[in-house]
Amino acid sequence: MRNSERGTGNEYPGEQQEMKTPGKMIVLFILGLGALVFLVPVVLIFLTAFKPDAEIIHFYSIFPKSWTLENFREILGNPEEIPIFRWFLNSVLISFMVTSLVLVVDSLAAYGLARLHLPGRKWVFTMIVATLMIPGQIFLVPVYLILNRLGWLDTPLAIIIPAGAGAFGVFLLHQFFLGIPRDLEDAACIDGCSRLGIYRHIIVPLSKPALSTLGIFAFLGSWNDFLGPLVFLDSVDKYTLPVGVALFQTSYFAEYGLTLSACVICTTPVLIVFLLFQRHIIKGISLTGLKE
Amino acid sequence: MKYKSTLFRYSGYVFLLPYMALFCAFLVVPLCYGLVLSFFDWEMISPFPPKFIGLGNYGEALTSPYFWKALWATIRFVIMIVPSVVLGALLIALLINNVPQKQESFFRAAYFFPTIISISVAGILWRWFYNTEFGLFNSYLQNLGIRVHWLSEMKWAMKSIVLMTLWWTIGGAMVVLLAGLKQIPDQYYEAAAIDGANAIHRFFYITLPLLRPVLLFVIVMSIIGSFQVFGQTFMITRGGPELSTRVLVQYIYETAFSNYRMGYGAAMSWLLFLVIAVFSLIQFRLIKER
Repeated sequence: MRNSERGTGNEYPGEQQEMKTPGKMIVLFILGLGALVFLVPVVLIFLTAFKPDAEIIHFYSIFPKSWTLENFREILGNPEEIPIFRWFLNSVLISFMVTSLVLVVDSLAAYGLARLHLPGRKWVFTMIVATLMIPGQIFLVPVYLILNRLGWLDTPLAIIIPAGAGAFGVFLLHQFFLGIPRDLEDAACIDGCSRLGIYRHIIVPLSKPALSTLGIFAFLGSWNDFLGPLVFLDSVDKYTLPVGVALFQTSYFAEYGLTLSACVICTTPVLIVFLLFQRHIIKGISLTGLKE
Repeated sequence: MKYKSTLFRYSGYVFLLPYMALFCAFLVVPLCYGLVLSFFDWEMISPFPPKFIGLGNYGEALTSPYFWKALWATIRFVIMIVPSVVLGALLIALLINNVPQKQESFFRAAYFFPTIISISVAGILWRWFYNTEFGLFNSYLQNLGIRVHWLSEMKWAMKSIVLMTLWWTIGGAMVVLLAGLKQIPDQYYEAAAIDGANAIHRFFYITLPLLRPVLLFVIVMSIIGSFQVFGQTFMITRGGPELSTRVLVQYIYETAFSNYRMGYGAAMSWLLFLVIAVFSLIQFRLIKER
């Protein structure tokens, strides 16, 4: 945390004059051009979904010449063939449940590991963190068989419950809890607060930033999860949006207007979350990347 | 303080209980179960019970041209994507590190943005870009009289996947590297500037050495992630043309969930795990020892 001394950023003497002039303008120009390359594809999803098919097949311009809602009307008005509303609800339910599960379970565990002098906790924590380095594909087949044994395949449980096992949240919250001053807990201890009380009335309220970061990650991760629902869900009306949209693409192969309007529906919630919590997300990524 | 008895201390494990139950059931047990499974011949749809065949599945994989083809496709992808992502992300991070605060947050968010798009949406989008007849890329190239078969020609297919992946993932690596750059104290640069070091000197003698741990982290995570590539090829090329982009995870997926050969699928998962472990270790060695 040395960067508190950094002051206003990069403007150290000498560099200031050197960079203000053409050099800086060129940097801004290059970055701006690059940012366009990264953003335009996403903008195109939204613009193209409002184009009639003819305009997609013969590409004139990025903006639609005549805007149309026909694509949306077609995918929303066909619940037998394309149960997109159902997929949306499935996705909402699953993401919401995963987020809640991860927040509760991970924060309890992280509190236990960071604060209660549990014998052997170092060993347990190391073991948990070590699983972060294990490539996830290795769990695919055995977890499928376990879910099969439990009778959870093709139910939302197959996606929700295993998601609670991820080590990322425990790691993130553990690091954050270590930074909370102990004095507060000691005071509460003297006042006779139980350990659950300390967790609920001190740790959780003080950890709102870390908890919301984790919550956002859990939400985005489960909303976008692809391989899990693809393998563990079987019937069309159980799909989540990404899998539904992906498989829908195979049957409506050439109708890009339709598929892209489905993409709009799939992307909008994520887009809203990103616009609202952009800072949280990026901070969370930076922190976990730095603390290894 | 009487409460701090041994029993009381151990009772704190109650907090860990819910997580540890999930951790065991869906991480530890599957890990062991998968390993055991890999020594069995088990076709889920056949009436025969699983049969122990020792290293038979591993032997089959190592002598199967399909396994090697899938492994080679995966390695080709990793070799192309990891350096591009890391160098690209480093370059963008260095540039962003040099602009004022306000633009900095904007650019950081802009480059990061594609990483939050679902792979199925990103896949559909790029499939359209790459479409030979009416794709976005060819619509523009047409004006120059060029027509590229992005996805159906062997020499382009994997490169198209790499290009799309670059767009989709570079932002995550960039954000981590940028945070690493921010941690380097300005005093070092000030001192170097006084000593007359130019930008290139500063980069090689200050930035790079101090960034090494973060860089190592980004490289290793990028290797681990790239070896598990699946969504892109599944969505965009389906493994074609002629299986040239069928990567290992897709082959495992087909083996286990289309042909229901669970033991063989598990064995290939473990082989992929070994390959990833070897590559990560080499990386650690290379960077740590210098």
